[in-house]
Amino acid sequence: MVVETHLSDLNLILRVKGPLEFKCLFDKTDAPNIEKVISQTFEGLSSDIKSDFCVFTLCDGLVVIWPNKDVHMSEDITPNTPCEELSQWIQTSEQESVSKRSLKKNQTKAKKCTTVINLGLMMEATRPRALQSVFARTVQTSHFVSTVLKMDCVICVRFGETIQDACLRLVEELSNQLNEMKRVTLLHLKGTSILIPEPFHFLLPQPHGLVTAVYPSGVPDSQLQTVRQTLHQKYDLADDTPFFRRANAYHFPNEPYRDGYLRNPHLSLTHPAFDNGKVYLVQGLYSYHHYMQDRIDDNGWGCAYRSLQTICSWFQQQGYVDRSVPSHKEIQQALVNVGDKQASFVGSRQWIGSIEVQMVLNELLGVTSKIMFVSQGSELASKGRELANHFTTEGTPIMIGGGVLAHTILGVAWSETTGEIRYLILDPHYTGAEDLQLITEKGWCGWKGPEFWDQTAYYNLCLPQRPKVI
Amino acid sequence: MGRGYIVEGAVESYLSQLCELKSTTLTGLLIGQSSAQRDYIVLAVRTPPKEVSSGDSLDKDWVIEHARQVSRMLPGGLSVLGVFIITEVDGKDTQTTLRQLVFSVENLISSERFWSPADDDVTDRVTLHINSKTRKTMCRTFDVKDPKSMAKPADWKYQSGVCSSWITLSCCLHINLYFPLPMRQNTPETMEKCIKDELHTWAQQIESGVCLLDGKMFPDDADLTTGQRRNAKQAYSVQLLISPCDQRIGDVVQKCGGSVSIRGAVHSRAYVHSTKPKAKLAEKMLKRDIISTVASRVHMLLEELATTEEQISNFGVELCIPRRIFCPMKGRGPLSVCDYQFSDEGSSEATERLKEMLDFDAAKKTSTQVKKSHLKILAQKFQTS
Repeated sequence: MVVETHLSDLNLILRVKGPLEFKCLFDKTDAPNIEKVISQTFEGLSSDIKSDFCVFTLCDGLVVIWPNKDVHMSEDITPNTPCEELSQWIQTSEQESVSKRSLKKNQTKAKKCTTVINLGLMMEATRPRALQSVFARTVQTSHFVSTVLKMDCVICVRFGETIQDACLRLVEELSNQLNEMKRVTLLHLKGTSILIPEPFHFLLPQPHGLVTAVYPSGVPDSQLQTVRQTLHQKYDLADDTPFFRRANAYHFPNEPYRDGYLRNPHLSLTHPAFDNGKVYLVQGLYSYHHYMQDRIDDNGWGCAYRSLQTICSWFQQQGYVDRSVPSHKEIQQALVNVGDKQASFVGSRQWIGSIEVQMVLNELLGVTSKIMFVSQGSELASKGRELANHFTTEGTPIMIGGGVLAHTILGVAWSETTGEIRYLILDPHYTGAEDLQLITEKGWCGWKGPEFWDQTAYYNLCLPQRPKVI
Repeated sequence: MGRGYIVEGAVESYLSQLCELKSTTLTGLLIGQSSAQRDYIVLAVRTPPKEVSSGDSLDKDWVIEHARQVSRMLPGGLSVLGVFIITEVDGKDTQTTLRQLVFSVENLISSERFWSPADDDVTDRVTLHINSKTRKTMCRTFDVKDPKSMAKPADWKYQSGVCSSWITLSCCLHINLYFPLPMRQNTPETMEKCIKDELHTWAQQIESGVCLLDGKMFPDDADLTTGQRRNAKQAYSVQLLISPCDQRIGDVVQKCGGSVSIRGAVHSRAYVHSTKPKAKLAEKMLKRDIISTVASRVHMLLEELATTEEQISNFGVELCIPRRIFCPMKGRGPLSVCDYQFSDEGSSEATERLKEMLDFDAAKKTSTQVKKSHLKILAQKFQTS
């Protein structure tokens, strides 16, 4: 649980992932025997990791590394090659040849972003010589354990570090992770029932960087409160932000999301810059929900529902709630349940406003919201400070309804001195596919000026409040 | 455009000899390698005559059973590609018989396979009909993937030295299978089913393993011999990297009536013809040999267990898995056939089996040669496992 790596050193992360088979037999079911067998099995895996047969394969590249042996793949790549060169061996779809990409291609990318080199953990099955093969069978009634441990370790590569040194550090991490998994498994042992330990990486504020924790699968976050408290104390973290909830696990660059929704489309925009202007943005992850998604034709009436879904996705992805984003019907049913609407409301195409959004957030997610009212759209230009404060302390997306439209505000650019203001808007009226380029180019997610609002209409804003929990 | 089989010259003399035997019908198997580029036949083996002579009528079941046994004696890359028949007359039913045999042989052999067929596998099988009087040969192929397949004419060309240009791939593979037996019904049948299920899972691991040939990884579609001059490497040492399946199906902990463990390291070998061989083909052939050799040995062990079941104590059993011996074929270049041997068997049993199944006549040669090939078998026995 101890990878305290500083992301600023070199923006190169080496990550190794792979399954290890965990199999053992309990011939006696008393606790000491079970613990002994489990410990021995973990120890066996530890020696496998440190053996000559442990290999790391470069994902999307034709390189194999034996971290515990001094072996060359070819003249071009040896254990003493600096780690950074590994990225040149990764084949992208444009590449034809197997050999190194030219250095020039990498150097033009001066952008300071974190690169992750992914390695796969595998075992070499071939041996230098044959051994008599033995078939053995036992016939006692016993308990057989068969599962897979999903190993997942990261290190931040130090400047100039060789492949050999970096990989030896990874082996050390894998060994530590196995020990931690053993500890967690033994801790949660109940008779012959075993919970599989799973690793998660969390990105903590400086100076800590990436930290790995092992949680028992099947135990929900709500029951791991004390574990998180210990972690918060260890890393001296504020106790009002759920850094260590599973949903907040660090999402590595280029790792795909399984549900198909776009995440944080605003990140690909260039933010406005003006005199003394500062940008205040939503914190964390949200999904872009808009018209026509999920095979629901809500064109013309569902905009507030979609904005509400975007907000719900934020609470889910930051780990505050477990429940998935509610559908239109579930939103409507919630309003019926609180007595705000008649039963006939469910299945209808009726609009909702900020007040309804506030009610649903409370009913379904247990989240409270503040309502901000402006009697005319032109007043929004003077709400810079309040919006900036909201994004600083709460960091949640804002739903704004007025005139005949609902939108989501993801951020504000505001100058305290000149009062100049821009709003980062996520527009739920978009009816197309999840095309990031189109969405940002056409302004479906984009910065708007104060003229964006209907200057005479009144507006209600729903500002969800972030629960202060861990 | 039909297939073209390039056949080792020695096969011609073998078939000629068979023609000279005074018998009305003789059948046998044709062994070699088929790939998208070429088809090679390296060996022909007659169906062993049965002790009880049932006249000259063809015993189809025996032909098929022979094919199954021979299949187990072939290292990777070599397989039963077809059937030949030598008759005195040209009858229409000869064609029908050949067709039946070819399909039945394929069905039996493929039903015992643990490796999965690939899309680019060649599914044509060859039939050869020789008239022993006129020496006229007729060569045709059938697509065994299509039950309604019609015979297609094919070329049958003899060439000397077909057996000398083969690349040998070999490795020694560590196996470590460990799985539970069910609570009730600890019969040989249930154990066999458990073993088969486990072998299937293991076979998938092998098939998705990463192969290194002489320490190098080859990209898809690469030639094995790129960048080498002619007559370069003839043998490759293979390394295989595997990883268990990510998802576990079933309970983490289950009550069981015992367990089975199969541990050790086995020899595996495969051949690919050296004319522009694809790395992917070499890899495929070796992986299939790995899977087949383990499956064959386990099968033999289960048969052995079934006969000795009464003697097993309540504490289980520990048995040695039969070892593999490779036997080079005289005049066939680097190509070898193989056999399996239980630890209590001597080399004479192996020689007998090779003689019976493969018409591999070590004994008939001159005395020095007998010693040589006999020694070779012995030597192999000590080296391999």
